[in-house]
Amino acid sequence: MKKKILCLVGCLFVITILSSGCSKATQPAAKTTKYPGKPITIIVPFSVGGGLDLAARALEKGAAKQLGQPLIVVNKPGGAGAVGWNELAGSSPDGYTIGMVAADMLCLPLYDSTKYNYPTALEPLAQVSAVPMVIAIQTGQPWQTLDELIAYGKSHPGQLKFGHGGVGSFPHVIGELFGEAAGIKMEQVPFRGAGEVTTALLGGHVQLIVVNPMVVKEHVRNGTVKVLAVTGEKRLKEPLLADVPTFKEQGLNVMLNNWYGVAAPKDLPIEVKTELEAGLKAAVTDPEFQQEMNNMGLQVEYVDARGFGEKWLADNRIFTRVVQETGILDVIKAQKK
Amino acid sequence: MDVWSLLLQGFYISISPGNLSACIIGVLIGTLVGVLPGIDTVSTIAMLLPFSYGMDSTTALILFAGIYYGSKYGGSTTSILLNVPGEAASTVTCLDGYPMGQKGRGGAALAVAAIGSFIAGTIGVIGLTLFAPPLAQAALAFGPPEYFALALVGLIVLTKLTGTSILKSGLMAAIGVMLGTVGLDSLSGISRFTFGIGELDRGFDLSILAMGVFGIGEILTVMTQPEDHPEIPRLKIRDLYPNREEWRRSVPAMFRGGIAGFLVGLLPGPAATISSFVSYALEKRCSKNPAEFGHGAIEGVAGPEAANNSAIAATMIPLLSLGLPFCGATAILLSGFMIHGITPGPALITQQPELFWGLIVSMYIGNVLLLIINLPLIGVFVQLLRTPLNILMPLVAVVTLTGAYAVNNSVFDLLWVVLFGILGFFLHRTGFEPAPLIIGMVIGPELERGLVQGLIICNGSIWSLVTRPIAGTILSFGAVVLVYSAGKWLYKAGNAREKIKC
Repeated sequence: MKKKILCLVGCLFVITILSSGCSKATQPAAKTTKYPGKPITIIVPFSVGGGLDLAARALEKGAAKQLGQPLIVVNKPGGAGAVGWNELAGSSPDGYTIGMVAADMLCLPLYDSTKYNYPTALEPLAQVSAVPMVIAIQTGQPWQTLDELIAYGKSHPGQLKFGHGGVGSFPHVIGELFGEAAGIKMEQVPFRGAGEVTTALLGGHVQLIVVNPMVVKEHVRNGTVKVLAVTGEKRLKEPLLADVPTFKEQGLNVMLNNWYGVAAPKDLPIEVKTELEAGLKAAVTDPEFQQEMNNMGLQVEYVDARGFGEKWLADNRIFTRVVQETGILDVIKAQKK
Repeated sequence: MDVWSLLLQGFYISISPGNLSACIIGVLIGTLVGVLPGIDTVSTIAMLLPFSYGMDSTTALILFAGIYYGSKYGGSTTSILLNVPGEAASTVTCLDGYPMGQKGRGGAALAVAAIGSFIAGTIGVIGLTLFAPPLAQAALAFGPPEYFALALVGLIVLTKLTGTSILKSGLMAAIGVMLGTVGLDSLSGISRFTFGIGELDRGFDLSILAMGVFGIGEILTVMTQPEDHPEIPRLKIRDLYPNREEWRRSVPAMFRGGIAGFLVGLLPGPAATISSFVSYALEKRCSKNPAEFGHGAIEGVAGPEAANNSAIAATMIPLLSLGLPFCGATAILLSGFMIHGITPGPALITQQPELFWGLIVSMYIGNVLLLIINLPLIGVFVQLLRTPLNILMPLVAVVTLTGAYAVNNSVFDLLWVVLFGILGFFLHRTGFEPAPLIIGMVIGPELERGLVQGLIICNGSIWSLVTRPIAGTILSFGAVVLVYSAGKWLYKAGNAREKIKC
C-alpha cells in the first residue's frame, strides 16, 4: 500500500516536472511559417483587475478571430509598471511578445529610475482607449463644486489632501497640474492603486482623489461620491457622468487624457508589424469589443500606430514640463537621496 | 424573515445543476491550489478567467469564489506533513502542525484543520449574510493612521509568539521588517536595497521566505541530525482522528479563531495570513499550558486554520458591498465580476439579488463540500508520514523548489529559497525562531505605508496620530500590553532575585 502510494506520488512529480519543462523552451522556433504561428503573449505591467488589465482581457476574448492566434495575458506588476515594461522592452521583437501601455509609461523614465526610455524603446501598435481622469469628492462636504473646492483650498492652504495611485504616476501628475492651474496648495497622499484611493475617500481620510471614472461610478450612482471635473476635451460618454463638466469648461487648463494601447519591442520586422496593426485595428473596432469595454466604463478610441506614436511624443513634452514645474521631480529626486 | 426568503431564493439559484457543478469544480480546484505550495489563488483565477467567458456570470463567480475559499482548506496539508506551507496563510500551521505530525498525531492535526476551517468558514459566511453593509461602512473608518496603529500593536503583540527570549524574537521581527523594505517602494516607485539587481525590484515574496525557512531549513536540520530518530508508531484507524482530549481543546480554539479571523479579514492587507498569526497569539494567551506551543499544541493548528477561513469570508464584504478589493485575491475576483459586466458596489445587493444571494448560498454549500472532500483525504495523506526520512526529505525538496519556482516563474527565486533555507537552518541551530521573521515581513510594509500616509494626512504631526479616536484606542491597547508584560517580567525577576538571596 505504502509503496504504491509513494510510487504514484513519485510518478506524478516526474510527469509534472517533465511537462512543465517541455512546455516552453524546447519547442523549435517555427521560422518558416506565416507570422502568427503560435499564441501571442501580452504583458500587462499591473496586477489583475485594473483598467489596463481589463482592457487586455477584453482584447483576449476576440483575439483568436482577429489576430489569428489567441492572446495570453501575463501580469507582471511592480514598480508602477516598470517591471512589466522593462520586460516588454527587453524581449525579442518577433511579434510574439506585445504589451499593454498607458500614459504612466511616459512619466516613469522622467525620474531616471527605469532601465529603458520607453517611448523610444517601444514600438506603438494601436491606441485602444482614451481614459479621461476625474476629480472626485465625498458628498456632504462643504465643497460641492469645483469653484467651492478651489475657494476652500485658497482659504485653507495645505489642508486639502488629494489621493492618487503612487508618486509620479499619471493621477499624481494630474492632481499637481490641477493644483497649479487653480492656484491652490494641496498635499498629495500616495496609495497603491485606485481601490485604495477610493477607500480613503469614502472613509474621509483624503478630501479629493484623482481616479479613472470607472472606479467611482458605482459610488456616484449610490450618491456617496460626486465627480467635479473631467480632464480631456470632451465630457464622458457614460450616462451617469455625462453632465460632469470638463476642466476646460470651468476655465482650468487641465487637458491630459490617460490612454491605453498596445506596443511591442522596437525593431519589429515590417511584415509582422503590419500584421499586428491590422489585427489590432480589427479587434479594437469590433462592436462586440466596444460593447464589452463600455460595460466596464472604458471609452474605446482607436488610433493607428502612427498617430499613437505622435501622441507619445506630444504627451511626453507636456509631462516633462509638468513634473519639473510642479516639483514632482524634485520630490522624487529628494527621496532618492 | 426577509433574510430567510432571500437565502431561499439564493438556494434555488445555487442548487441549479450548472451552478452546483461550478461550485464543486471550484472547491476541487481550490483544494488543489491550497495543497500545492507556490500555486496561489490569484494566478489560478487569472489563468482560468478566459475559460469563464462563455459561462453565465453567476456560475462563473460561484466557480471563482469556490477556488478562493477552497484554497485555504488545503493549505494546512503540506504544513503539517512536510513543514512546507501550501499557502502563505498556513505558515503558522507549520509551528505546531509539523511537530504534531512528527509525534504521530498528523491525522488529528489534519482533521482539526479541516473541521476548524469548516466551522470558521460557516461563521464567516453567516457574518457575511447578516452584517455585510454595516461592517463595510465600519471598515472605512480605518484610514492610514489606524492601519499604522494596528500594524505597530500587531508587531508588538505578535512578535512574542514562540517560546524564545523577547530580545531574540524582537531581533527576528526587526530583520523581517527590513527584508520587507527590499524592492520597489509601493508608494514612490523607488528601488530600495536592490543593489541594481533587477529581479530584486519585485521584493521578497512571503511564500518564498516561508518555504525556505521552514521547508529547506527542515531538510538541513534533519540531515544533520544523528541517525537514530524514533520510529513513528504504526497508525490505527482510530488514531487518524482527534481523541476526546484533543476535541475538548480544539473546539473553543476554532470558534475563537473563527471570530478573530473574521474581524481581521475586514481590514485591508494580507488578511488571511495576519489573521492566522493573530489567532495563534490569541490561543497561546488563552491556553493553560503555553509552553506546549511550538511543540505540537493542537490549539495552534485549530485556531489559525479556522481564522484564515473566516477571514476569507470577511474579505468578501468590502468587495461585495463597496466594490473595493482589500487584498490581491479579491482584486482578481473583482476583475472576474467586471469581465462579466457586473460592477460590484453599494447597489449590487439590491440590484442583482439573485447573483449576491446565489453566491452567498453557494459558499455555504461549498464549505460543506470542502469538508466532505477533505476528511477522507486525511487517511491518504497520513500515509505519507510513515515514509522513511530518506525518501520524505527529497520529496520536501522537490515540493519546495517546484513551488518556489511557480510563485513568479523565476529561477532567481530558487536561489533565494535555498538561501532562506540555510538561514532557517542556522536560526534553528542557534535557538532563534523563524515565526517573528515572517511576521515582520508581513506587517513591516503595512507599518511603513500607514506611517507615511498617516503623517501626510495628519499634517506631519505624529501627535495627531495618537489623538485620532480609533488609532488612539488601538495604540493604548498596545501600551497596556507592553506595560503588563514589563510588569510581569519585573515581578518574575524580583522573585528570582529573592530566591537567590535565600
